[in-house]
Amino acid sequence: MTQSIEKVHKMAKNAKGNQAIAEILRKACKKIAPVWPLENFVAVNPYLGLADRKFDQAAKELAAAGGVQMTMPLSFYITKIEEGILTSDHLATALKKKGSKMPLGDFMETLNKMEVFPTALLINTVADTLSEATGKDWGRLMLNRVSAWAAAYFDGGQAAWNTSETSKGPFADWKEEASIDRTPELSGLKGFRACIKSLPENHLEAADFVLKELGVSDVASEMYLHGLLLRVGGWAAFAARIDWDNELYGKKDGVLIEFLSILLAWEYALHQTLSTEKTSFKWKSSIAQMMDWKSKESWNLSIQHKLILQEAFDNAMQEQVIAKFKTLKKKARKPKKISTQAIFCIDVRSEVYRRNLEMVDNGVETFGFAGFFAFPINFTPLGHSEGEANCPVLLKTGPNIHESLLNKDDEVKAIQARKLNRQIRQVWKSFRSGAITCFSFVSPIGLSYLPKLFSDSFGLTRPVAHPNDAGLSQKLAKDKRVSITSSADTASGIPLAQQITMAKNALNAMSLTDDFADLILVVGHGSSTVNNPHATGYDCGACGGHTGEANAKVAAAVLNNKDVRAGLQAENIFIPIETTFLACLHDTTTDEVTIYNEEDVPESRKAALEHLKDSLVLAGKGARTERALRMPIEAGTDSEKSLIFRSKDWSETRPEWGLAGCDAFVVAPREITQDIDFGGKSFLHSYEHSKDQNYAVLELIMTAPMVVTSWISLQYFASTVDNRVFGSGNKTLHNVTSGIGVFEGGSGDLRVGLPLQAIHDGEIYQHNPVRLNVILRAPLEAMNTILDKHEGVRNLCDNGWLNLLHMDDEGNIAHRYAGNLLWEAIK
Amino acid sequence: MNSVLIALLVLSAPLAFICTAFISWYQPGLRPKLVKTFGNISSLISIVAAAISGFFIAQNGLQEFGVFGLGIRLDALSMIMFGMIALIGFIVLRFSINYLDGDERQGRFLGRMAFTLAAVQLLVLSGTLGLLLLSWVMASSGLHRLLIFYRERIAAQVAARKKFIIARIGDFFLLTAAALLYQEFGTGNLELIFQGIQNQMAVSAISTQLEIAALCVALAAMLKSAQFPTHGWLPEVMESPTPVSALLHAGLLNAGPFLLIRFAHIFEATTYVSYLVVIIGGFTALFGSVVFLTQTSIKTSLAYSSIAHMGFSLMVSGLGAFPAALLHLVAHSFYKAHAFLSSGSIVEVKRASKVERVLRTGNPLRIALGLILALAVYLGFARIWGMDLENNLPLIAIGAVIVMGLSTLFIAAIDSNGSVKLMLRAAFMAIAVATAFFTLESGMHHILEAGLPAPKMQTVGMKVVVALLLSAFSGVVFIQLLAPKWAEKSQYRALAIHLKNGLYINVLFDRWIGALRIGLASKSFDKEALTEGTSYQEQNGAEDLEYVEELIAK
Repeated sequence: MTQSIEKVHKMAKNAKGNQAIAEILRKACKKIAPVWPLENFVAVNPYLGLADRKFDQAAKELAAAGGVQMTMPLSFYITKIEEGILTSDHLATALKKKGSKMPLGDFMETLNKMEVFPTALLINTVADTLSEATGKDWGRLMLNRVSAWAAAYFDGGQAAWNTSETSKGPFADWKEEASIDRTPELSGLKGFRACIKSLPENHLEAADFVLKELGVSDVASEMYLHGLLLRVGGWAAFAARIDWDNELYGKKDGVLIEFLSILLAWEYALHQTLSTEKTSFKWKSSIAQMMDWKSKESWNLSIQHKLILQEAFDNAMQEQVIAKFKTLKKKARKPKKISTQAIFCIDVRSEVYRRNLEMVDNGVETFGFAGFFAFPINFTPLGHSEGEANCPVLLKTGPNIHESLLNKDDEVKAIQARKLNRQIRQVWKSFRSGAITCFSFVSPIGLSYLPKLFSDSFGLTRPVAHPNDAGLSQKLAKDKRVSITSSADTASGIPLAQQITMAKNALNAMSLTDDFADLILVVGHGSSTVNNPHATGYDCGACGGHTGEANAKVAAAVLNNKDVRAGLQAENIFIPIETTFLACLHDTTTDEVTIYNEEDVPESRKAALEHLKDSLVLAGKGARTERALRMPIEAGTDSEKSLIFRSKDWSETRPEWGLAGCDAFVVAPREITQDIDFGGKSFLHSYEHSKDQNYAVLELIMTAPMVVTSWISLQYFASTVDNRVFGSGNKTLHNVTSGIGVFEGGSGDLRVGLPLQAIHDGEIYQHNPVRLNVILRAPLEAMNTILDKHEGVRNLCDNGWLNLLHMDDEGNIAHRYAGNLLWEAIK
Repeated sequence: MNSVLIALLVLSAPLAFICTAFISWYQPGLRPKLVKTFGNISSLISIVAAAISGFFIAQNGLQEFGVFGLGIRLDALSMIMFGMIALIGFIVLRFSINYLDGDERQGRFLGRMAFTLAAVQLLVLSGTLGLLLLSWVMASSGLHRLLIFYRERIAAQVAARKKFIIARIGDFFLLTAAALLYQEFGTGNLELIFQGIQNQMAVSAISTQLEIAALCVALAAMLKSAQFPTHGWLPEVMESPTPVSALLHAGLLNAGPFLLIRFAHIFEATTYVSYLVVIIGGFTALFGSVVFLTQTSIKTSLAYSSIAHMGFSLMVSGLGAFPAALLHLVAHSFYKAHAFLSSGSIVEVKRASKVERVLRTGNPLRIALGLILALAVYLGFARIWGMDLENNLPLIAIGAVIVMGLSTLFIAAIDSNGSVKLMLRAAFMAIAVATAFFTLESGMHHILEAGLPAPKMQTVGMKVVVALLLSAFSGVVFIQLLAPKWAEKSQYRALAIHLKNGLYINVLFDRWIGALRIGLASKSFDKEALTEGTSYQEQNGAEDLEYVEELIAK
């Protein structure tokens, strides 16, 4: 009796202890931003978990814990000073803002001496300490072994014979593998397996045990655990993404916590197998440093200096953005006859096309809105067995939508054909890639790759079929539509009442509730690339790393629905009967626009449609000509041809510039920005505050698109300032792992962020590392109210993760947000 | 046409590549216009030269041309290899010109690639021991310089060092073989050596010296083609841009089986060396193709696949089926070049695979039916082609492997819940595979026959070895077929983990060369690498690198 009570007591005590350790681990894990798999590679702010700190504070923490840089190398700023882009005015302002009392002259003087200041990491793990003592890089061994395990555990279908059991939790599975794998011992870690086996089975107990054994106090653990996670930051980010999805749908986190426990177990095993008296002493001083790393004066100073330079550079670039609005000619516009309205994604690449379209056809009015058009769907392509989230990753998916074909008979046949095609590929693969049978594949079939090598080289064929068209004939691929009618059989579609609500919300949010034109284009966007692991990174982030095709089709189908229009009348939205919404896709690599549902246009408007199609072609030409200037195209080649060939070339590492260069997000009516050439570097959101009751739309913009654009801008920023940690390195070395990510070369950590080739053209950076300038044309009080209400948004603005600017009703940039709900006037 | 003209035409190809390499000294950097132009011209010259000379040789048979002991030899084998390298070279260079656009040292990269291509071309054209040795070492050093192209990468240095050690041992064996052959026959001319061997065989007096020379050639070939247990470097040399891997796997690895085919006369004359080649090649084929299944990254899995295919080619040559070995070699080259260059497309394959798959039913009757159908197709074709299967050991061995493949095709479709259409398509594919195999096989036989020695009688010992290998092969195939889910059982887990790690051979090699030692990268033995300018990567992350060095130095 007493025994069992003791047992219960002990268990209760354990549970409590586990909770405490779980909180300690969770705190560190929250600092790691998630990374999405390559099949829907959306942009993430890599500093996501640190946004509640000041930019400068985060820079110091990351530098100390993982040697992560949040500024460019010194030489970058010095070049900018020499080029006259960074002036002493900018530097003086930045010095003042950062509260430095140093005179400008002294500051410049210290820059020359900067080399002597160390900026390296301050937090040493057990592996680091032992590497230093033994002259062998144990950190690299640990990174490679943990990565090799993670690649198998998180494998999305690369290995035919997977060595992991995913039914087990990560820690349990790893522990089993580590008790079998002889590599650590053969590499010189005697007793490694026994040491791992001796650890508690439960990951929290193991972590608790290790931290105690290593003598890491709760205070020291904060930086230590963060540093440890950054050592294998890529796989940690992938685990964080699984937690992200689980939490979004109301489930529990915990994958990353287990992953962190694995790293701790490794540290413990290294400590047990290699420690000597001397290294123990060193480890103790490492722990001491974890607690007072902030006191390193020269280290702090060197980071502070670079942060000041970065601030000055931000100012200089912001001035250029503001200047664009100043030179604006405020000419009185002729009232024009609008025959077409076109809603584009806010994506910076739309800006070039929109401007060119308006230029070639003054009957076209354009709008900017997030490219999922407020239809967050779970989309199932034809014949697929499961749906994909076609919406921003911040949102849960809404209705299930199935892809369909114009003709029902075709649809049934096409689904069968697609399944057959898939199964044939499956059978063929088991022959081609099976052990031994691969030999009987190569001898007879290998030669057939010779013609394919040539046709792929010249862009006549793709190495593999495009996922959207795989197993479908060309003709049928053109007939693809979506079925929005609610159906209980397939649990898909949208009930009418919900269609009406969604339509109303979308139109309100677009500030498009009256003066409907005859043709209204709903233009999603996507890219065309071949053989590019990061292909979906060029697609629409608002559609969750897919093209905007499905969302545009759903939006058009709903808004063309007669019953929906009837329902909208009750909401005071009257869409004329002649008005047709056309679902379109803007190919950002070739600047071609495809219209999907031409058949919906009434006979009386066909002529207008033909005219519009001509305008779209012309606008595409204009946009390409403009974009060609930024592309590294050899002199003397036909730039138009070269640009289009990039979309078909399997050796292309820079198919387009994507969102590189993005530096502003303008939220204002299009009339105000129409005469400004943003050079494809500005997000544009249409917004008319006079129509916005209670500023509900403004609130939506500041909490969703503004956050997403800051994510994108910070992803580019991070990949530029420290490609080693938050970028994915050199594309020519990429090795796709587990079907979900890349690493460089033959081994190593999963890489997050953008490749070097996406931000650099070989000569210069195509992305200027600056924080996003968000320009809102809305009343100051309204913005303050929203900032006050949403802590996360306020953190972004108050802590210097983006720059908020206020545009007055005349279109001048009038105020700059100074934090704490205060604004300063701009001269 | 004059044979000297033909020889000059053929030699113009490596010459043009060497010119390109020279030009790259003057344009080593970013967007090297001239190097690109010359690279393109050189690869076109190669293709034209291969086409014309191939036609000429087909008409006129063996041609030799040489000065100072550095002669070339134009026959069916060298023309096929030369043509293959011309085609692969064209593709790989074209790919590199765009792929590495914007790299700070693109000129140097293209130069090294051109140099390596020239070396491989000379290697396959070699008609004398002198040129063979020279080009063998040239190709190896060209490759080495490509592998350490991003020399700041520690992993690149480690892998290249392993490769370097293996290659030097291989060089030693080839040098020894050449010395022995020269001593034995008093000439470096391959044709004269081959005739000498035939003369020896006629009086059935094969010297020990020849036996040792054959052993050395075989060892050099196996080291070149990453055979177990010297394979460790190959899965690791992804540390250079993708086209280097494509060239390595489609061009340079082939040097091993090529060497065996080139020296076919020696192997047919000797007794014991074939055993070694068949056993090592067969085991490596098995090992590589199983380890392939466990790999989680695309390029690494392709590397294990190459190890396996090289093993298979060597095994087949060891059995004396040189035409089949050459067919496999050439087919593998094109297949693997495409697989590497298109390795970025794997994500699209995955995105397109979300369509319902078929499930295996595991019905023994259906499995047996699949097997019977596969056998029937194979035997039917063999009959139509009039092949004498009974007395031909190599053909039985290869035939067995083909049957294993066909039965996989049949069983995957028949023993599944798929539609009749799927089964018909699988049957069609099986017939297409069999047709292609028999056509190509007899075609290759026809082309090469003239230059090859008459096949020797297979000993009982060899029959036993082949029987053992084949039963191991079929064991693996049938475990895959009979128990599609076997891999998920946990008792296989330990085996899977050991296999995933390549049976730890590489770990031991790493430890031996001190791969974990800090500062290995900076102590490069490649002097040229140390004196070169900064690279693209390095400049982009100059400070990052400082950080890494600091971290290491601490």
